[in-house]
Amino acid sequence: MPDTPTTTRTPAERRRHLSDLATRAVGGVVVTAAAVFLLAPALLTIVLSFSGDDRFNWPPESWGLRQYETLLESTDWLDAIWLSIRIALPVALLSALIAVPAVIAISRSRLPGRALLQAAGVVALIIPVSAFAVAVYGVFVQLKLIGTYVGLVLANTVLAFPLALVVTAAAMSRVPVELELAAMTAGAGRARAWAGITLRLLAPAILAGCVLSFITSFDEAVLINFLGGSGQVTLPKAIFDSVRFGVDPVITAIATLLMVATSLLMLIALRLRRSGR
Amino acid sequence: MSQTATPAAAVPSPPSRRGGRRRWNPTVGNVPAFLMVLPLLALVVGLVLYPLVKLTIDSLTQDAGLGNYADVFASDATRKAMVTTLLASVVVTVITVTVGATLAWYLVTARSTLVKAVLWLAVLAPFWMGTVVKNYAIILLIANDGVLNDVLSALGLGRAQLLYTTGAVIMGIVYSMVPYAVFSLYGVFVGIDQSLLAAARSMGATRARALRTVLLPLAMPGIVASAALVFAISIGFYVTPVLLGGGQAPFMASVISSNIFGYYDYGFASAASVLLLLVAVVVLAAALLAVGRERLMRAVA
Repeated sequence: MPDTPTTTRTPAERRRHLSDLATRAVGGVVVTAAAVFLLAPALLTIVLSFSGDDRFNWPPESWGLRQYETLLESTDWLDAIWLSIRIALPVALLSALIAVPAVIAISRSRLPGRALLQAAGVVALIIPVSAFAVAVYGVFVQLKLIGTYVGLVLANTVLAFPLALVVTAAAMSRVPVELELAAMTAGAGRARAWAGITLRLLAPAILAGCVLSFITSFDEAVLINFLGGSGQVTLPKAIFDSVRFGVDPVITAIATLLMVATSLLMLIALRLRRSGR
Repeated sequence: MSQTATPAAAVPSPPSRRGGRRRWNPTVGNVPAFLMVLPLLALVVGLVLYPLVKLTIDSLTQDAGLGNYADVFASDATRKAMVTTLLASVVVTVITVTVGATLAWYLVTARSTLVKAVLWLAVLAPFWMGTVVKNYAIILLIANDGVLNDVLSALGLGRAQLLYTTGAVIMGIVYSMVPYAVFSLYGVFVGIDQSLLAAARSMGATRARALRTVLLPLAMPGIVASAALVFAISIGFYVTPVLLGGGQAPFMASVISSNIFGYYDYGFASAASVLLLLVAVVVLAAALLAVGRERLMRAVA
């Protein structure tokens, strides 16, 4: 909205111009402050990951790759990362296996209550997670799943598959039913039409859903505290336990690597969703 | 957008049908459809619905039975934690939605690609760091020997105790929630016709007035939906109150977890959890009534 002031102005116009300037200034300050607030912790962590000190110091007394070397030599951290990956992979797969058939059925059938079902899928995302954790804890105690690998995969799937559901449903709404119909008039059965048309068009979104579910599971930090028992230490749990007792500088290196990995994965997911359009 | 650019290649080869009888109907029957949603149904019923029902029953029957609730209300520490959690979540919601709406509005309207890129980077940064790491990063920033205190003392303002306060927890939860608010409000603002604002301004409205009387009413349902979600999620935060609040600023989540694992009082913990859930359900139901299911769902995704 170009409001370039010209020569003569009535007082009312001047007031209006001043008011607009003030509004823009307030907006500019809020946005700048918000951007700094959101970026500062991330940038600080990345900078500090190249500190050469053996404890947290600001500003660092020396620089180097010490944190990364310590990380690679530490079996505890690497074990935690490995466990998180071992949980997140089946979670990503399960999420797709649950979400994809459900989305196709919900959009291509007249099943009663199908809209409600889709809403129920994301319920776990919007209820207070610590209360939900207690609820799952009660069931896991009953089923003796506390501290088990299977239990963690199941619990993380509950939190992760809604993302696959949402992403796949968005893509499914763009798959024209006429194409399936065309395939069927050309002689394909319904299964063949789905495999040849629907699933192919959904493939990028399905992969994106897998990536997002993987990230969600890898990052899960609340349920693990209630369900992990003492034996299962995932990466978020290991960092959580460590931060409770102080700031271990090695975490800056883990955090930086995580940021790089997550941003790459998210960009891939975004690319996949775009390419599906 | 070229929505359906590729399909031609995907159409399978010529008709090779056995029987002639063919119902060209892409609609799935209810039985196969039910089988296809069965995994989802099983997961939601088995690991969401059943746990929540069991939690509610347990809170009424385990340990002290109904007395669990009496214990929760009788405990000063828990009452205080509940008040802290609710008040802090209200503050979090107000800040998050205000900041999120401003960011989303600039993301929609900014003309400079650079500004947009930096803002998207800022919004995505908390996501990229992950749940625990972002709290760790905030500790580096606000610790007594951290960067912010260095800046403060360099300005001659002296050092302040920032970490392990309710304010730190609020800051941490806002940091986690702003991206969610931005995503849902971005969708709301994109759907609003910008020319309406231009029209208001051409008729003499100031920028502020155009935003208040044109944009705000149009965006209100989306803002309400977003605020309700931010609040419901905020009251359940566990990692942030423990790491940034420490023992000094107990929130419900820490009370609940210490009752399970510290005092082995599952009855008490389940009653406290049910109360927390009730608050969330009431707020979400109110939002549902106010703006409808579709808007609330859109705010989630």
